[in-house]
Amino acid sequence: MNDQKADTSQEPVSTLDRLREQGVSRRDFLKFCTGVAVALGLPLGMGEAIAEAVANQKRPPVLWLSAQECTGCTESLLRSNHPTFEKLILELISLEYHETLLAGCGKQAEDWRVKSMKENKGRYILVVDGSIPVKDNGIYCKIGGKTAQSLLEEMGAQAAAVIAIGSCASWGGIPSADPNPTGATSAHEVLKMKGITTPVVNIPGCPPNPYNFLSTVLHLLTFRKLPELDEQARPKFAYGRLIHENCERRPHFDSGRFAVQFGDEGHRKGYCLYKLGCKGPETFANCPSILYNDVGAGAWPVGTGHPCFGCTEKGVGFTVPLHYPARPKYITPPTFFTEAYPGKPEVAPGTKALAAGVAGAVIGAAGAAMLTGLGKKDDENKDKEE
Amino acid sequence: MAKRITIDPITRIEGHLRIDCEIEGGSVTNAWASGQMWRGIETILKGRDPREAWIFTQRFCGV
Repeated sequence: MNDQKADTSQEPVSTLDRLREQGVSRRDFLKFCTGVAVALGLPLGMGEAIAEAVANQKRPPVLWLSAQECTGCTESLLRSNHPTFEKLILELISLEYHETLLAGCGKQAEDWRVKSMKENKGRYILVVDGSIPVKDNGIYCKIGGKTAQSLLEEMGAQAAAVIAIGSCASWGGIPSADPNPTGATSAHEVLKMKGITTPVVNIPGCPPNPYNFLSTVLHLLTFRKLPELDEQARPKFAYGRLIHENCERRPHFDSGRFAVQFGDEGHRKGYCLYKLGCKGPETFANCPSILYNDVGAGAWPVGTGHPCFGCTEKGVGFTVPLHYPARPKYITPPTFFTEAYPGKPEVAPGTKALAAGVAGAVIGAAGAAMLTGLGKKDDENKDKEE
Repeated sequence: MAKRITIDPITRIEGHLRIDCEIEGGSVTNAWASGQMWRGIETILKGRDPREAWIFTQRFCGV
């Protein structure tokens, strides 16, 4: 780490030069930045702005604090199948401290952390993976003799921003599952308890999609602020829609075609997994649209035939039993459906959404396949009212 | 008189490991390895539907 540091501190070459050495052409880099701009929901031209921001400034220092974690978040970042991805992430940021990746051990590692924090005070991004145990004064996770709780308070207070990566750091995740033996708590809760106001962004997922993390970092770099967040501090570009809204199996749900058992005919035919306990109708994430590992269509849990278990959603993942049916309280029409009868005068705006809500209540209460012909049902109701 | 050395954290591994060594006359006479993190997954698993146990157990380690 120290040797490597001696090189980077001089910063003699631009990011583009460094990438070129790694076999990433300018064209590849621009393509990548444009992809990020699209993922962020920005206009296409913003890719160039991102590329410019990244190429023309010193790499932002990143300190990575691991608490009660399994290293799955780090693995998902480093083992992406895209050949240039791990190079890009390591070239775009200056990773100052990361327990799993540091060469130095013990005192060397901790001295480096303190030194880097001092040099980059108020400028560094703190990434946290893993939940923070607060029960019994936080003794259930210690690094260099200090509790994860005290380290987060110390490092979080001096950071420009905190990115909580993974479900554990975002909302407690698996260690916080009932009966939460260690008092596992999210990073933002721990900071809040101490009155630390450093902005926090949550990238939940078990593991989270690396592109959501990287897009957030690039947004920070380009615009010097966090992307727009929802009420759980998740970036809206990634967690703004239910899995159910973009699921490729949604037409089966709307037509009442369900897999009832693993391996049955419906399951083999790729029908909707709602009856196997899919939590897509109550989980916000972009898994169906962004997919995993750059291996093409279907590379996400539902795509491979397993119900979503709601890992990005506090109160769903690791909380609601796996095969318990989802509670579709926010059922909305899928994004890719058009109006059955555009301009039909008697259908009031919002009726379609209301109909979907009614259907949600029906499946929620009875768990029955009563979803055939949503629009038709709606019209029938309308007729009855009239 | 034995000298004690503590190396914490051990890096390049997954998890939080600490090594304590006792050194006498230039050689290690005693050593302890200790995991510095506990999540209590065994406790969490108690009383759950066995069909969902894998969701928890596969997350012992993400490497």
